[in-house]
Amino acid sequence: MEAPSDVSILLLTLRVAAIATLAILPFGILFAWRLSRRAGPGRTLAETALSLPLVLPPTAVGLLLLEALRRSGPLGRLLDGMGIEVLFTWKAVVLATAVMSFPLLVRPARTAFEDVDPRLLAMGRSLGCGPFAVFRRVALPLAWRGLLSGTLLAFSRALGEFGATIMIAGNIPGRTQTMALAIFQRTHIGQDEAALRLVGVTVALSFAIVWTSEIVTRRRSRRTEA
Amino acid sequence: MIEIDVGLPLSRFRLEVKAELSADTVAVLGPSGSGKTSLLETIAGLRPKAAGRVTIRGERVMDTGEGFRPPPEHRRIGYVPQDACLFPHLDVRDNVRFGMARKNGAPLFQEAVGILEIAPLLGRFPATLSGGERQRVALARAIATEPRLLLLDEPLAAVDPALRGRILPYLLRVRETLGIPFLYVTHNAGEARVVAQAAIVLRGGVLAFAGTTEAAIGAMSMVDPEARFDNILSGDLESSDGSGQTASLKVGASRFSVPAEGGPSGAGRAVYSVDPEDVLVATHPLAGVSARNVRAGRVVSVETAGADAWIRISAAGVEWTCRLTKSAADELALAPGLDVWIAVKAQAFRRLR
Repeated sequence: MEAPSDVSILLLTLRVAAIATLAILPFGILFAWRLSRRAGPGRTLAETALSLPLVLPPTAVGLLLLEALRRSGPLGRLLDGMGIEVLFTWKAVVLATAVMSFPLLVRPARTAFEDVDPRLLAMGRSLGCGPFAVFRRVALPLAWRGLLSGTLLAFSRALGEFGATIMIAGNIPGRTQTMALAIFQRTHIGQDEAALRLVGVTVALSFAIVWTSEIVTRRRSRRTEA
Repeated sequence: MIEIDVGLPLSRFRLEVKAELSADTVAVLGPSGSGKTSLLETIAGLRPKAAGRVTIRGERVMDTGEGFRPPPEHRRIGYVPQDACLFPHLDVRDNVRFGMARKNGAPLFQEAVGILEIAPLLGRFPATLSGGERQRVALARAIATEPRLLLLDEPLAAVDPALRGRILPYLLRVRETLGIPFLYVTHNAGEARVVAQAAIVLRGGVLAFAGTTEAAIGAMSMVDPEARFDNILSGDLESSDGSGQTASLKVGASRFSVPAEGGPSGAGRAVYSVDPEDVLVATHPLAGVSARNVRAGRVVSVETAGADAWIRISAAGVEWTCRLTKSAADELALAPGLDVWIAVKAQAFRRLR
């Protein structure tokens, strides 16, 4: 079997990362909004659980996902019943990267929502808007920088996910092999030069994303500056 | 007609206000931290822990005893907080439109913009506005929602005597053109006197007084160290005299000389303030005085507080508040009923805008 080209690996990686990021976006934003509005022990618990993927070994997260997705596992049985195969397909890559990226989206988003003056939200209510309209017309537009920065962070994390991915998606060239996995494999079989080419691509890509994120968060809009 | 009977636990005390006011325009007086803002927020529905009953012209705003606790968006209360609380991501036009219903939008928008004179500001963002301009935009935004009650919190900055950005002249216009009932928080007795028929005084979260504005101001002077007792005159400004240095302000049947203002916007309805320190009192007819406004009057009341004497004098159809030193008042033997003359320089009249 012919090894996939650098370009096709890059495209697969971008596609999977984009799908994962888009999939977690609505949940992540809603979750961040909820966290920013609540206080108390429930919130601390939720935040700690949320941060686990950041601190656990990615392989541990991968193993937990693997257990859940086994045909005998709770999630696996459900998916099997619907005829959906996840393990060792590109869907598994999406799932692994989504889980690992989720906290990176939620944390900046939560901070951005917390920075919205609650009195502005109260004002919106007083002017006749229900809670959802206030979220849409006041909170979202005021927090968009943090939301965008979180989205970019989650996307760049998704591009480079390795540990959880290899546990549930394997390292199948052309099907589940992302850049991170390809770099590992090429180094493993002694193709250091080919691996370094991919490293160059990831460095350029990550640099561009993080740089954009920095610019977005640093540059405060002239009009909203007090 | 506004009925209030509410309670709200606060960190330092419990707010407890029960008042039945037969007026539609009410001043809320009292020192800083006495619970005035909390009272407004309770009525607006922004304090979930508040309990009690509020009615406006017989309509219930809330009645927690009956389980009636509508969320803020269903109360139709126009709230203008101290710091205006404009949406920073929207320009003035979109701020004013924020709470407007889609139907009959345009005429209402034009009316709000016209009354508050904010047409030149429509394309600007809140960050570029002065404090007074922000208040005007916030008031426009509130009246554009057709509220059944307005709640206005005078900015603390308005206590400073620079007079920039007072909302009062615009509130008077809203009262004249729209007739929306309102509660107006102020430290300025003079403003309360011209704008409100009734007043309540809060102290430590408790109602210290409720009744006519005049009586409330007496109670306020005892409890509010920040209170100001400016003389506020609302009248028609007539074109400048020949010399162009002074203009004439017609209040009722009286005319006062005030500084001329450049430009055509000078004429029309205008509100002026005269500090109580700037009203000179004499017990004999004044002659050969440089002051442009010399009038005969009669002492209404004399109150002393420390080294100060506060004299109320009725002259030229206006009741004036004059602040003298206690020794000066004693020397002149000022007492109610005494015939006096007052003198006010044209320059002492300062226009509110």
